[in-house]
Amino acid sequence: MTNGWIDIKNTDMMLIMGGNPAENHPCGFKWAIEAKRNRNAKMIVIDPRFTRTAAVSDLFLQIRTGTDIALLGAFINYTLQNNRVNHEYLVNYTNASFIIKEGFKLPEDGLYSGWDADKHTYDKSTWNYESGGLTKVDAPSHPEATAHGIAAAGAPPPSLPENVAYDPTLQHPRCVYQLLKQHYSRYTPETVEKITGIPKDQIIKAADMFTSIRKDGSTKQVATIIYAVGWTQHSSGTQTIRGAAMLQLLLGNVGRAGGGVNALRGHSNIQGATDMAGIFDILPGYLKVPVPKDVDFKTYLTRITPKPAKPGEWQSFNYWSNSPRFAVSLLKSFYGSAATKENDFAFHYLPKVDKNYSWAELWDRMYAGKVQGLFAFGMNGVAIGPNSQKNIDALKRADFLVVCEIYPDETSEFWRAPGITPEEMKKINTTVYRLPGAGFAEKDGTFVNSARWLQWKYAAVPPPGEAKLDQEILARIFLKIRDLYKKEGGKFPDPILNASWSYTNPYNPSLTEVAKEINGKALEDVTDPATQTTIKAGQQLPSFAFLRDDGSTTSGNWLYCGSWTEAGAMIQRRGTEDPSGLGIYQNWGWSWPVNRRVLYNRASCDTNGKPWDASRAQVWWNESAKKWVGNDVPDFKPDSAPSDHMGPFIMNPEGVGRIFVPLGMVADGPFPEHYEVFESPAQNILHPQQPNNPVAIRLKSAADKIGTTAEGYNIVCTTYRLTEMYHYWTKNNPMNVQLQPEPFVEIPAELADELKISGGEKVKVTSARSYYIAKAMVTRRIRPMMIEGKKTYQIGIPIHWGYRGIAEDEGRTAKTLANQLSPAVIDPNAFTPEFKGFLVKLEKA
Amino acid sequence: MGTRAVLHRGPKTDQIERYTPAERIAHWLTAGTYVYAMATGLGFFTPYMYWLVEIVGGGPTARFWHPIIGLGYVFTNVYLHHQWKSDLKLIPEDRVWLDKVKYYITNEDDLLPEQDRFDAGQKLFYWGMLYCAVILLVTGVVMWFPESIGRSWHWVLPLVVIIHSAAALITIGGLIIHVYMGVFMVPGSVKAMTIGYVSRGWAILHAPLWYKKVANGRTVK
Amino acid sequence: MAGGTLQIKAISGHAGPVAGANTSRDYDVCKLVDTTTCIGCKACEVACVEWNGYPFRPTSFDNTYQTMPNTEWNYWNLIRFDEHENADGTFQWLMRKDQCMHCEDPGCLKACPADGAIVQYSNGIVDFQQEHCIGCQYCVTGCPFDIPKFNQETKKVFKCTLCSDRVNAGLEPACIKSCPTGCLHFGSKDDMLALAQARATQLREHTSHRNAGVYDPEGVGGTHVIYVLHDSSNPEKYGGLPKNPRVPILVQLWKGPLKWLGGLSMMFGVMGVAIHYLRFGPKEAEMKDADIQKEDRNRGN
Repeated sequence: MTNGWIDIKNTDMMLIMGGNPAENHPCGFKWAIEAKRNRNAKMIVIDPRFTRTAAVSDLFLQIRTGTDIALLGAFINYTLQNNRVNHEYLVNYTNASFIIKEGFKLPEDGLYSGWDADKHTYDKSTWNYESGGLTKVDAPSHPEATAHGIAAAGAPPPSLPENVAYDPTLQHPRCVYQLLKQHYSRYTPETVEKITGIPKDQIIKAADMFTSIRKDGSTKQVATIIYAVGWTQHSSGTQTIRGAAMLQLLLGNVGRAGGGVNALRGHSNIQGATDMAGIFDILPGYLKVPVPKDVDFKTYLTRITPKPAKPGEWQSFNYWSNSPRFAVSLLKSFYGSAATKENDFAFHYLPKVDKNYSWAELWDRMYAGKVQGLFAFGMNGVAIGPNSQKNIDALKRADFLVVCEIYPDETSEFWRAPGITPEEMKKINTTVYRLPGAGFAEKDGTFVNSARWLQWKYAAVPPPGEAKLDQEILARIFLKIRDLYKKEGGKFPDPILNASWSYTNPYNPSLTEVAKEINGKALEDVTDPATQTTIKAGQQLPSFAFLRDDGSTTSGNWLYCGSWTEAGAMIQRRGTEDPSGLGIYQNWGWSWPVNRRVLYNRASCDTNGKPWDASRAQVWWNESAKKWVGNDVPDFKPDSAPSDHMGPFIMNPEGVGRIFVPLGMVADGPFPEHYEVFESPAQNILHPQQPNNPVAIRLKSAADKIGTTAEGYNIVCTTYRLTEMYHYWTKNNPMNVQLQPEPFVEIPAELADELKISGGEKVKVTSARSYYIAKAMVTRRIRPMMIEGKKTYQIGIPIHWGYRGIAEDEGRTAKTLANQLSPAVIDPNAFTPEFKGFLVKLEKA
Repeated sequence: MGTRAVLHRGPKTDQIERYTPAERIAHWLTAGTYVYAMATGLGFFTPYMYWLVEIVGGGPTARFWHPIIGLGYVFTNVYLHHQWKSDLKLIPEDRVWLDKVKYYITNEDDLLPEQDRFDAGQKLFYWGMLYCAVILLVTGVVMWFPESIGRSWHWVLPLVVIIHSAAALITIGGLIIHVYMGVFMVPGSVKAMTIGYVSRGWAILHAPLWYKKVANGRTVK
Repeated sequence: MAGGTLQIKAISGHAGPVAGANTSRDYDVCKLVDTTTCIGCKACEVACVEWNGYPFRPTSFDNTYQTMPNTEWNYWNLIRFDEHENADGTFQWLMRKDQCMHCEDPGCLKACPADGAIVQYSNGIVDFQQEHCIGCQYCVTGCPFDIPKFNQETKKVFKCTLCSDRVNAGLEPACIKSCPTGCLHFGSKDDMLALAQARATQLREHTSHRNAGVYDPEGVGGTHVIYVLHDSSNPEKYGGLPKNPRVPILVQLWKGPLKWLGGLSMMFGVMGVAIHYLRFGPKEAEMKDADIQKEDRNRGN
């Protein structure tokens, strides 16, 4: 979330799309209700089903799953056509005025410029800004541009120009604003009706309602966009979120209380997992992971440290310019005294990631026999899918599987999957080790919530029996491996032998020690030049401003620096003061970065440093003190006066928000374009010859079949969760089972009539990959849709059941998994599989 | 059936068997079950008589036994009916008696037509009790299992309770008269229902036609 | 309850005076359920079962999100889910938290014959005291909301207590505590009514719910659980919330005039026969032997 849960109460308008917070985030959803109750905020809900969230909305639109970009495009188009933009914000805080290179082509045919059909990749060199500073409309195109356009093989990768060409009148035909206008002019209500299935008057009504906050040039009101995995779990997931971000930049809602682009995380600590590098392509704190091309530390640092790229007259804080400080402090934290200036801080210890190790691809490789073993901690890989049957088959081929869980689950008992006969079971040679993990209430530590808050929790009860805390299990495994390396040597023992492991009890490190280690400390006395404060050697660092690239500081995650200081555990604070009334609660827990609650909050003020809305004053420029001050921690260079024209989006080298994303930082293209989901009931009417995202990753194993309408898969299916259940856990808890006793499939009443299915009857859902059996819930909450003049049905499956659980063990279910149906088609940026839209057949079981 | 009664020539000469042992057992079973159901029922009917419930074991116990004993009352009624139904058949002559019932009330019995084993008043009491028993049974079963009544028929429940109470009140009215007559107004009746015999004089006075039948024209010493 | 805040003001099946009769506290307690912000998450269902210590029960899929068709003796709090198509074509998925309404004029208490089995506290809570319950289920008959539920094993009737134990200790009911969206509120009746009215006004003025209103039915003297409804003109669509609930007229008849009529007629009956005895005395019971013989002869025997 750019903002936070509580901050939703400050909004005037909510667009909830690709998420069902009432169902999946009921506690956080109270703030949406607060906004409705206290501010008369409006709530627009767009979803394939009439959800629990829709039940309390002001306007509900039923969308065909996976067509969100088309609808957001229509909203952007409406915003531009009706001048519902915050013009001052748009010109000064976004790259709307930046001029794009000659040779850049919009995807009228489904492809941006630079497509290499053979290699199936883009040459992204034209996806860049023109160089040259302030530019007049009739200025000729820059001579460099074309030269850059044809990047020779072996040339250094294209980079952003230092002095970006821009036209603050937004009139230049190649400025981002004009390209945007041109791109989304194709997204008319009529076209988008055909794609999404939403009647065009409804599209216009929703667009008008959402953008009404900028009616008549008003800049006071704020709108928020709230989403979750209904957007991310698509082959164009990242671009969908981009669409939302662009809409918010046009309206000037990012950085403002009650605004922003707000991802609701699906688990209590999924944000923490991401922050701490629970993904293969990042290190803690979102530092890029080294790749084989990073032959030494310097090369790596050059690659990950951007240079400012902005109009010459403007300034850019370019916060990632501090990357070397973050990286060195991280290596010092990893390897302690073994990381020295002389050995490049042991950079060579870090693995260089040579290929895509994303979730679905790991399973793909195991399926292909290349990955021989799996450690599964805190997740149920088989049930998570996608294409669970393939995951089951993959585990059959593995040598070993280690599962740390509190219940027997589908992964630890994969051989009990339906369809495996006793004879076949005997032939499965995978050795399974089951480790007795501890439950969440048995552990202390932090949760990082969607609002980026680190909140310490205390163990309620000790782990029962032989169950052990995660850190003890991991520590014992690590120490055993280190012993083996010590005794037997190995190919490259140094990273293991030299890993810093200085816990009081090395066999069971206390999480307070780990939290302090992540925060980081000074190894020598360090002084912050801005404040002239000094931190003595051995002391905890108060913020990442003290991090050094000379090896005198450590930090396990620069973003968390300041969470556990000499003043104590900021993450354990429970202060309930909120003087501003904006729900900032500066003394409750701790929010990264530096306890800032709303990111990019400089953008909550106009160019003169005055809040757009005085009643929601977050930060402001204090002219007499020559400082940014406020109720929140300013997300800005504290002494940069408004007249400096420093951009508020300090993490971008441009300093401004990106309406146009240059250089393939989003792989699919600079603007989101509507592509059909890989299993779609309709053709792509924008460009039938290029229906799908050309850069999405489609796995090619024998198990990765794609179904078509021609084969009879003509019902759209989506998957989701229920508020009564928590993932694949609570099917073991009698109370949850009482509330939702059995698996079911939600079926539109009209479809049920056609197929003569009545509520409660068993049905079989079949995709190109496998099948799923559950009882029918016949409902009017999903309506048939007209897509290209064809009646199209959507059905929905809650995912919570499998083959181990109370109902399962009692024989009340067919023991199939919802994700046996879903395809392994993957978004090219976040590598999230397309769980949310695929084709199935439906029949009585 | 009732006419099986014979002149007894045993030690208690001059006595006529009014009720056979089986009849007496049936009567007292009926009376006993009735009184229990009535007492507990009255307790449920009004807080001022809730003490009746307390003396028979408290509310839950009383509520548990009330329907069961009530059912027993219905069964004993059936047994009683089985024995008395021919004697209790209403005949045209009963109408004459009923028309002149005021003479019965004013103890001018000689102005009344002669009656068989049971007079028309007794018959009416009996049939009244029997019909009320049927009503109490039907309504009682509904009250016993109110959850079996669907939500849309819920309004029936209070009606059923009212009918049950009304039927019970009618029987109580009958009972008051019955007990008064038996204990106070017609001496010898208690003896008839306990020992089973009445004197010849009692029979002649209160059931002359019956007397004629059982005496069967014989002079009794 | 010693030391707590509860004082009894009405007792079922009670003959004598009630110590706290006609008293009222400085405030009556009230639960406000704002159906327009309820998301049907069932946290209140779980909190209710857990606070009251009832076991989990097996349920089965019934083509709905609703946990079970009806409240049960050990499941007092149930969200009712209704898919409703309005006449104007708009669609609603209605969720209503169903539980005891704690009527000011409680039909259950009125109907109950057992002394002390149902009490009403001066703060408005209507509470069942199972140790006095005789299991007659007259309360089922008296309740216009179909709330009291019978336990076949213990032969006792149960329902929501409005967490009288918690309220007595100065806490809010468990359901209120658990509600994540804040659609449940607890406070004095005046405050809750004001809050509810303000919310209804807000809905009428700022949303499409022109018929929004407060459900605090007069027929039962008002309730200590009140609802804000999107459409107060049609409460039935919220899982059969009665439009004009009242203590059934027959129950009023039965517990009012009929009870007195019955008592009086019994009294008159006894008095009647007594007077008769005094006026007319017993009938002749015996005859002289001579008369009997004469009689026998007359009869031609």
